[in-house]
Amino acid sequence: MAAMLKCVMSGSQVKVFGKAVQALSRISDELWLDPSKKGLALRCVNSSRSAYGCVLFSPVFFQHYQWSDLVKMSENELDTTLNLKCKLGMKSILPIFRCLNSLERNIEKCKIFTRSDKCKVVIQFFYRHGRFESQLISYVFLFVFQIMLILLFTFYRLLADAIVLFTSSQEEVTLAVTPLNFCLKSSNEESMDLSNAVYSEMFVGSDEFDFFQIGMDTEITFCFKELKGILTFSEATHAPISIYFDFPGKPLALSIDDMLVEANFILATLADEPSRASSPQSLCLSQKRKRSDLIKKKAGKNVTSQALEYISRKAAPRRLYPKETLTNVSALENCGSPAMKRVNGDVSEVSENSVSNTEEVPGSLCLRKFSCMFFGAVSSDQQEHFNHPFDSLARASDSEEDMNNEFNGSDAKYFCVI
Amino acid sequence: MKFRAKIVDGACLNHFTRISNMIAKLAKTCTLRISPDKLNFILCDKLANGGVSMWCELEQENFFNEFQMEGVSAENNEIYLELTSENLSRALKTAQNARALKIKLTNKHFPCLTVSVELLSMSSSSRIVTHDIPIKVIPRKLWKDLQEPVVPDPDFFSFCLPFLRLCKILNLQVIEANLDGELNLKIETELVCVTTHFKDLGNPPLASESTHQDRNVEHMAEVNIDIRKLLQFLAGQQVNPTKALCNIVNNKMVHFDLLHEDVSLQYFIPALS
Repeated sequence: MAAMLKCVMSGSQVKVFGKAVQALSRISDELWLDPSKKGLALRCVNSSRSAYGCVLFSPVFFQHYQWSDLVKMSENELDTTLNLKCKLGMKSILPIFRCLNSLERNIEKCKIFTRSDKCKVVIQFFYRHGRFESQLISYVFLFVFQIMLILLFTFYRLLADAIVLFTSSQEEVTLAVTPLNFCLKSSNEESMDLSNAVYSEMFVGSDEFDFFQIGMDTEITFCFKELKGILTFSEATHAPISIYFDFPGKPLALSIDDMLVEANFILATLADEPSRASSPQSLCLSQKRKRSDLIKKKAGKNVTSQALEYISRKAAPRRLYPKETLTNVSALENCGSPAMKRVNGDVSEVSENSVSNTEEVPGSLCLRKFSCMFFGAVSSDQQEHFNHPFDSLARASDSEEDMNNEFNGSDAKYFCVI
Repeated sequence: MKFRAKIVDGACLNHFTRISNMIAKLAKTCTLRISPDKLNFILCDKLANGGVSMWCELEQENFFNEFQMEGVSAENNEIYLELTSENLSRALKTAQNARALKIKLTNKHFPCLTVSVELLSMSSSSRIVTHDIPIKVIPRKLWKDLQEPVVPDPDFFSFCLPFLRLCKILNLQVIEANLDGELNLKIETELVCVTTHFKDLGNPPLASESTHQDRNVEHMAEVNIDIRKLLQFLAGQQVNPTKALCNIVNNKMVHFDLLHEDVSLQYFIPALS
């Protein structure tokens, strides 16, 4: 018996599915397929790990959804359960979902299934009038982890209207909120540099949102291109978008949730000036060497720093991360957010409720909107099991070595997003 | 120098947006001239533009509910600004269902034309979208280069509406016309020569009859122009003109004068040397 996935979609479902793939392709060149009893999740994280997206299609979205996670390892006596998580190249899967309108019209059904014995995902289109075509895509097993998240408020899809404001050359946009209104504007840094750039801003009153709760005035700046991809997808689902963020440097999350599809995207935000004592950008600056020191020193506490670094660090525009001297772990511990403090404890204690028990985070009910985004609240004894399947099933490519290094051994820990 | 103007009528706003789109297609950078009664979009015939020049004029009261301006000085009550045309057309694009559009001259770190749009929204409060378009104020000493081009005494001219529509699908190189209401479009290559004939185009009454009296009515004036410039001009046309005039100065240039309801556009294409 092999881990397997089998699902069937109609033409219009393929369109939404394809739009999700297209949105995720703006974030990364690699797409993970992660089926579970909650449905089929498509996930990706960008190369600098500053943006993350996840779209979860619930079982009722499909005409047929079948999934099993049993893996019997024949090489050894152990029965190991392993979730099927396979990584596909975006270059292989994106062309398949290119002409979505014509697919919607011409396809009777689309079948996606895996053949783990051959490490392939098969996508079959059954066209009207009997034609069908089959695409096989190779995949690689891999692990993904994530963190984070502190939320603030929700709103409807007016962001899509806002997008037309900005030119396509715009790299970053700034979101500025006060308890009464919401403003999306061109990033200040960019418009100062280019004397020919138009500076645009859009002010929206708080009453346009379904839910609007702001703790304090905040301004955050993040990447525009990734946002555009996400909004294009949201138009296909017609579902409200929720946006969660905290102060600058902390990631921003967008969530789209209707009955059939649940999508989550996380984007890094520009960290603040170094003068801020409790600024989280200190997290972004530790280099790999330092990080591995942290890993060795504090098994539990390092998770936050490591994870937040991944989400906050961005390779290009250096100005996103001003050159700073390294800070030590105590600075991390003193970071303002109570949510982080909570998570600094033993990883195995992290649960859905822990982050919400904080007075600084209003609207904790919104937290529960997120289901467990990533997998892996792992404590050290379970680590063995994960390593094992890695060895036997994973076909690690060169690019994965970095990631693998970080997860090696019982020191590495991940935790569940609320 | 001061300038503020407001449009509240939806149809006027759409019209203004279309004009701005047209300008954006014709000229990457252009000059906006603001005077008490008019707005002009000007492209002067520098080498950089390939010798092409453009003069577009609109009566401000046909578009704006409120229009206040104060020029450089009392004697020179005008403002000349240089801007990237696309910036304006893109800013206006966001004003599609606007309640009101305001344009004003501001100075935010550098001189800007601020376009402020009040959008209809689902709730009681409106959405306000603001665009600050960077501009350059053109000093008075350069104004003389930006005056309305004088149309040289044309050799032949005719009305040419159907010609314009057809031009969009033809590749043409040579335009020749005569006083008898005929216009020919010709393209010549080594292998082939294609000519399209238009007949029964009107010839407007001649300004001075005497100079043309002795000319043969069927004699053609012709000018050899760069196709791309003509195509660029035609591609920019978004509104069907009510009247279109084509003036040809033999071997020198062709001058198009398009009259829309409340906008006039003149476009000059020089002959290929």
